This record gives sequence, C-alpha cells and structure tokens, in this order.
Amino acid sequence: MEEIDFKVAPESKIKKRPSYIKPWLGLKYLFKKPVTIKIPYEKTQIAKNYRGFHSLDWKKCIGCNFCGQICPARAIEMTWIEVDGKVEKRPHPKIDYGRCTFCEFCVDVCPTGALGFVENFMLTTEWKDEELELFDWVPIHPDKLREINEKFPDYRFPVGKIEFNKETKEVTYYLRDGDVFKFKILGYGVRPPAAAKPKPAAPKAEEAKKVKKPEEKKGQKSEENSS
Amino acid sequence: MVSQSELIKEARENGMELLPLDKDTYELFFGPQHMATENFSIILKMDGHRVVKAIANPGFLHRGFEKLAELRPWYTNIALLLRICVPEPDVPEMIYSMAVDELMGWEVPERAQWIRTTVLEMARVSAYLFWIMGLSFKLGVYTAGQWAAAYRERFMALFEELTGARVYHIYTIPGGVRRDIPGDKWLRQLKDTVEYIKSKLPDFDNLVFENYITHRRMEGIGVMDKKFALAEGVTGPNLRATGVPYDVRRMDPYLLYPELDFEVPVLKEGDALARALIRRYELEQDLYILEQLLEMGPPSGPYKVQDPRLKNLPRFKVPAGDAFAHVESTKGDFGAYVVSTGGNKPYRVQIRGPSIAHGIRVLEQLLVGARIADVPVILMSLDNCPPDIDR
Repeated sequence: MEEIDFKVAPESKIKKRPSYIKPWLGLKYLFKKPVTIKIPYEKTQIAKNYRGFHSLDWKKCIGCNFCGQICPARAIEMTWIEVDGKVEKRPHPKIDYGRCTFCEFCVDVCPTGALGFVENFMLTTEWKDEELELFDWVPIHPDKLREINEKFPDYRFPVGKIEFNKETKEVTYYLRDGDVFKFKILGYGVRPPAAAKPKPAAPKAEEAKKVKKPEEKKGQKSEENSS
Repeated sequence: MVSQSELIKEARENGMELLPLDKDTYELFFGPQHMATENFSIILKMDGHRVVKAIANPGFLHRGFEKLAELRPWYTNIALLLRICVPEPDVPEMIYSMAVDELMGWEVPERAQWIRTTVLEMARVSAYLFWIMGLSFKLGVYTAGQWAAAYRERFMALFEELTGARVYHIYTIPGGVRRDIPGDKWLRQLKDTVEYIKSKLPDFDNLVFENYITHRRMEGIGVMDKKFALAEGVTGPNLRATGVPYDVRRMDPYLLYPELDFEVPVLKEGDALARALIRRYELEQDLYILEQLLEMGPPSGPYKVQDPRLKNLPRFKVPAGDAFAHVESTKGDFGAYVVSTGGNKPYRVQIRGPSIAHGIRVLEQLLVGARIADVPVILMSLDNCPPDIDR
C-alpha cells in the first residue's frame, strides 16, 4: 500500500465547511418552472427502440425453438396452431408476459427475423381470470401492430381482449381497431401434437392435453440438457 | 382482577416464565417495511436511545441467482445476474461479461470498450445521484432528494435511447455490447447532460454537504478504523474514508481507465461524514471522466466480437477453465467468479457483492453505541445494498 502511483485528491478539495446560510440558497427554485410531466394531458416520448411487446411474422417463423431455449425466464412455449382450418406446418412461440423480462434475447437470436418488438409497453388489467388471458399470446404480424399504433399512439397493448374457449381451444383476439382474429391451439411443445384432428371428442382432447403438457415439457428440457 | 405478582407466582408453579427475559434493554425490529432499510432488517437491542447490540438480518431478497445461473445458457445469464445490483445494474453484467471474455480469450473491440466505459461511468453517476436521494431522505432534506431523482431521470432517458430500457438495460454481453451508439445526437445529449449536472452540483453542496445540520448529524458517528476495515474486507468509498488509497480502477485497471485522468479521494476520519464527502467528490470526478471520454470520442469499428461461434447462441460453448473479473462500483469492489466445464451452461457463477462486507458484520459493530436517530444515517453512509448481500 505504500507505493501509490496514482493521483490522490488533496483533503482540502474534498472537505467542505459547514454553513448556516447556504441551505437557504435552495429557495431559488421556488419561482421556477417544475420539471414534472402531467401524464394524462402531456405525452411522454418513448425512445425509438424501446424494448416492448413482441411481434411475429407467422410466415417467416420456422419453429426452430431458439427463442424458447435462450429465454432466461422460460416465458416462451412453442404452440401448434390452426388458422382457418389449416394447420400451420411449424410451431409458433407463445409468450407469457407474466414471466417475460423484456430482454429481447429472443429477437436477437431469431435466425429468420420473424420475431421482432415494438415500443408498446403498457398492459394493465384487473384481477379477473378472463382479463388475465391478455398476458399470454402468440404475437401478431408487425404490420398490423404498426397500423394499430398509428391509430392509437398511447403505447398500449394492441389487443383489447383475448378469449380462450377451453372446449374448442379456439382463441379470439379482439384487436383495438375493431378487427377480430381467430385461431385454434392444437397443442404445445416442439413435437407435433398426436391428436391433430380438430373436431372429435372435445373433452377427451382436453384430458389428453392436461396429461400431455408436463410430459412434453420434460421432453423439451431433457433435449436442452442433452444438447 | 388478579395482580401481576400473583399471576407470576401461579405461572412459576406451572413451570412458565411470564417476565421479559431482559429488563434493562428492549428489542427493536428495524424491519423491511421501514423507509430507511430497503428490504433489509436489523434487530436492535436498545438501552434508552442507545444501541447495545445490533444483529443484521438479511435474506429478504434471496432469489437464488447463482443457482439459477447454472441452469441457463451463457448469454441468457446476463438478463438474470444484473438484478443483483439495483441502483447500477450495469456492473454485474459487466463483470460477468469480462469473466466470459477472459475465458474465451477474446480481444474486445475498441469501440465496444469505449461504450462499456461510458456506460459504466453513466451508471456510476446515476447511482451516486440515487444515493444522494436516499441520504437526503434519511437526513430529512427532501428537496435535495427530489432534485437528485429528477437529474437521474436525464440519465435514464439517455440509457433508454442507447439500450432500450430504463433501469435493467441488458446491454453488455460477452464480447462487446448489444447495440451501437444511436448517433451523434445521443453524444451531444450526453454532453449537455453532463454539463447540466455539473452546473447543478453546487446546489447539492449548499443543501446537503455544506449544511451545518448535516455536519452535526454525521460527524463522528459510525467511526471505522483502518485496520478494522481492512480486516473485514471493506472496499470502495467506505475503505477510502478510512485512509486507504484503494481503487480497482487504478490498482487493477480494466477497459479504458489507464488512459483517463482522475483523482481518487481519500480521507482519514472514517466517520459517516467522511464517507459522504468522498462520494460527493467521486461524483464530480465521474462527471469529469465522462467529459474526457466524450472528448476522446468513440473510435470507429465493430461494437461486437466477430466470431462464428456466436451464430448458434443457445449452443454457445465456453472452453473449460475459470476466471475472475472485478469492477469498482459505487459501493465497492464488485467481483464475479465464473467456472466453466466446457458446456453450454456455466458450472458455477459466484458474485461477490460489496455490501456483503460492510452490510452485515461491519454494520453490526458500527451501530453499537449509536443513537437510534443515527441508525438510518450510518446505514445510508455505508451505502448498503440488500440485493448484493442476499443475491
């Protein structure tokens, strides 16, 4: 410790002299304009690349599950989807905003650039089960998101309401601009669901899903570990 | 009505003890909901208004990050480990990235080094402003606290522009940073902000650091000895207040610090006031460092290491070995020890938070004999950060 080859500040510079009068100088801000922003009336400017909610180009997504493997909170689950009676060839990521940390590593890692993000960050709901469905979604197309953002520039979640029918497994997005977007969730996980048939025996399929879900998750984890 | 003596007699006969065990002192629980202790609690044994014995009781924020980090790929851990230090989240991600860089044997590009240094210094300035806010709230000077929070907001806006998030900017990654500088506009904004805050420093002096009441409240409380501080492993401004010129940026230089010119403040008193004044001077020096960095300007080049192994991030493998990296944070010497066995996940990540040294044992011994009004002030002058301790 004896050899000091860097600059050490002299004590006279660091030490301060106590004063009775100087604290009163703080009063000079009494007649200046406050720096506060009146939030409902004034808009805050969000940075251009603020990390917010995700967008997904369903055509580009190849279901490689890179996003699911890199996610630090394990918020991403691959989902098999049926739109307009057609089963998508590859699974798409379903993002749970209850766990998401908005690190956007999933966007960095996406090899095709299908997953992206927008600046929207506001999502508030009441403590009701049907409203909490909002936190779990398969992201929609970025163009659609931008369209909604132009109409409503308040950085809110682009979907007003999500309905999930447990019997038919049909998900309905009520977008904020009035459009309705429907699709079906056939199963979860990387492997294609065994019962890809959409219609027969709805309660049976539900049971199968309940049993299947943990199994598939385990399978996914073991895959990750082995690799 | 049964009198108390009769009750005691009856209880004794049945083998019970009704009396308080200690008649001279009373136990006070300084809990996590108290405004002065942030998610941290101290059990104080009080005699009148003096503390006889203090027992630090941390663990409210234990989230098991070190265990969680073993279960996740190398890159992913950054989003996790930065939550260890809330006021300056760049430090944990920086030490982890530096340790992984060492394991990989990467030479980080010059532009990335410049950005990393700038981000670290910005984090230091905003953490010091945050600390001024905490200190002045505990001293009762609410005005200075409001100012500090408002000026910190300017740095938050700059961080938002650069990294995409306000507080937990998951920005530094092994081998560089995640995004390039947005452009010259951002550099100009940073310059303006640094100049603005430099012009506002005398205001803080007037209200907090040259205030007669502050001096009376902080002088001579929580006095730490040089020998004691070194034996307990205290680092950072707390150690420098006892007269030891130790600064990681000078003793074990990293990034661009060898090229920068700044002074290390050292005082001999070792009391709460000395610790506060040292932090005040360091804030000034950090602004000076930022000015120098802006004068140097970011060198051109890539902001990330170009390595074909980075193509497949979830399967990204680090060669076997271990590495230690440490950084001078506003609280002290922040270190990370990373062990790799060659897999796509770390074998062990150990983070050494600075508060583990001055937050438990040192605090317990400094509080002995202090008045109850001094307890929050000593706690804040040590700049205790509970998530560091609990991890």
